[in-house]
Formats: sequence, structure tokens, C-alpha cells
Amino acid sequence: MKLQTLKSIIEKKKNKSEFAIITNLSNGESEIFEKDKSLSKEMQIYSNQINEFFKLKKNGVIENSEIFVETYVLPIKVIVVGAVHIAQYLVDFSKSLNFEISIIDPRGYFASEQRFPDMKIINKWPDEAFKEIETNENTALIALTHDPKIDDPALQHALKKKFYYIGALGSKKTHENRCQRLKEAGFSGEQINSIHGPIGIKLGGRSAPEIALSIIAQLVSETYKK
Amino acid sequence: MKNSFDEKILEEANDWVNANQKVVLATVIQTWGSSPRQVGSRMIVNEKGDFSGSVSGGCVESAVVRECIGLIKDNKPCKKLEFKVSNESAWEVGLACGGEIAVYLEQVN
Repeated sequence: MKLQTLKSIIEKKKNKSEFAIITNLSNGESEIFEKDKSLSKEMQIYSNQINEFFKLKKNGVIENSEIFVETYVLPIKVIVVGAVHIAQYLVDFSKSLNFEISIIDPRGYFASEQRFPDMKIINKWPDEAFKEIETNENTALIALTHDPKIDDPALQHALKKKFYYIGALGSKKTHENRCQRLKEAGFSGEQINSIHGPIGIKLGGRSAPEIALSIIAQLVSETYKK
Repeated sequence: MKNSFDEKILEEANDWVNANQKVVLATVIQTWGSSPRQVGSRMIVNEKGDFSGSVSGGCVESAVVRECIGLIKDNKPCKKLEFKVSNESAWEVGLACGGEIAVYLEQVN
């Protein structure tokens, strides 16, 4: 691989663009494939197969050829509501994973630069904050404040936008009350049941890093279910 | 299909190049049967044999490192390696898990 290709791959990852690397295994020549960009002459005959790999987000060697396709998948957007202690560990754990965390918290004293260095924190109420973030069915929500004023609007947004993972912190009782409020707000039983509450898989731990680990574990598991 | 793991290995390869090291990328390009790492998994090796990342669960890394150093010494651009199921003799390189993998080596130049 040419150093120049390596550098542009890193650049494209930084810019969050979707692409694939196409390598000719017989001579080591590689190029970058993007959706609306044409391939080099010698790769054009494989155009259909390359597009197919790209669409399915698959890596592999094209059958009966010496062409290897490696697809780069965009990081998964994870919205955390509540710049609380658990959120600090979620940020830590997600560093080695393909999750891109944004934190929403209208309470300035929680969402400080000192508590979350180098993190994008939106210091607004969820309704306002979601105007700044593009979300869809590939987005995840982790609601951590267990304060209805802050969590509920975020949960409602996530349900309407059909986030693939929605989790909310709080005891069974807190969650029952939450479900009741969402029912009164007009959400269906199926929608409400899609919320993971109490959040996380059962690990037994109660400290902030242990709860963060149980949440991340659930998020990873739900990510691969889709 | 989503992927919740991002290997930052190419970023590391770039750091190594910036530190004037010669770098070989080793990438899993095909697997058969049960193999520990999926297609696209990668490790990097420099001329001294330092390595980062992985192409298996520790089964074939030592052989890959040796081959990568050879590639740098012979100044060859690329090479394809295949690893099959090991028999049970100790220390022999092979995949104890019963799978087969093909690993592609290429120099960053």
C-alpha cells in the first residue's frame, strides 16, 4: 500500500466518510472506492461486485479474482443524556470501540470541560440539542439522568426516530413510572417495551464503571442483533 | 450490519512510518471454518519485529512476524500466506481452532 493511500484512508475515517479499499493481491496496488467516484480502468470490470460488497458492508476476495475489498463502516452515533459519573466511564470504554458519543446535559455544572476533556457536550435541553444532531434508526440513546424533565423528551425523540437501541437508567419502580408517562404521551406498548430499562445487562456491580460496562455490553450485543 | 469495533491499526502504522520505521501490513483476506479473527483483521510489523494488532488468536502471529521481516529484507512489495489446521505437535505454527486463514502482507511504501 502506498503511504499516500494510507494517509487518505486515515483522513477519510476522520471525516466520517464511507469508503472501501480495493487491493489487487497480485501486485499489491490499492485504491480507494467511494460511492460516486469512478474506479481505475483495471478495476472497472469488477465494479458490480465491488458495489455489492460496499452495499452489504462486507470484506472479502471477489470470487475467481485476486481483488480484495475492505469496507469501512461509519462509527455508530450514541447519544448520552446526562453528563454524570457513569457517562465518564462510557466515554472511556467507547474509545476502543466504534461508538461516537455525544453528551447532552442542560446542567452546566455537570457538563464541564474539566469532567469531560475533549468531548462534545451539548449544554442544552434535549429538544433543543436534537436540532443539532442528525439521528436515525442507526442511532443509540443512553438516558442517565433518571430525571423525567431531562430524560423523557430524549426518550420520546428516540422512540419517534426509531433508534435501534434505547436504554434508560433507573430502578424498576422508576422505570414503571416512566413507562406510564410515555403511555399517557401516546406511545404504544410495543414502543415502550423496546426501551431497555433498567438499563444494562446483569453483571451485579453497582459502581459507576461497572454500570457503564453493563450498558456498553448491552449496546454491543444489540448492535450485532440488527 | 454494524460494526462496534474500530481498529485504529492504520493510524498506528502511519505513526510508525512517521518515526522512520519500515512497516508491513498483514491483513486477513480469507477464512475457512472457525477462525478467531474475521476478514479484514489486521496487524502491523516493523523491521525489528515489533508488532501490533492481530490476525489470529495468537496462533500464527510469530510466523507472520518472521515473514514480514523477510519481506522487508528482500524488499518485496507483497506476499500471500496460508495457514491450515495444526497437528498437535507443540510449537508448530497452525490454527489450533481448526480453521484456515489466508493473510496478505504488503509493505507501506
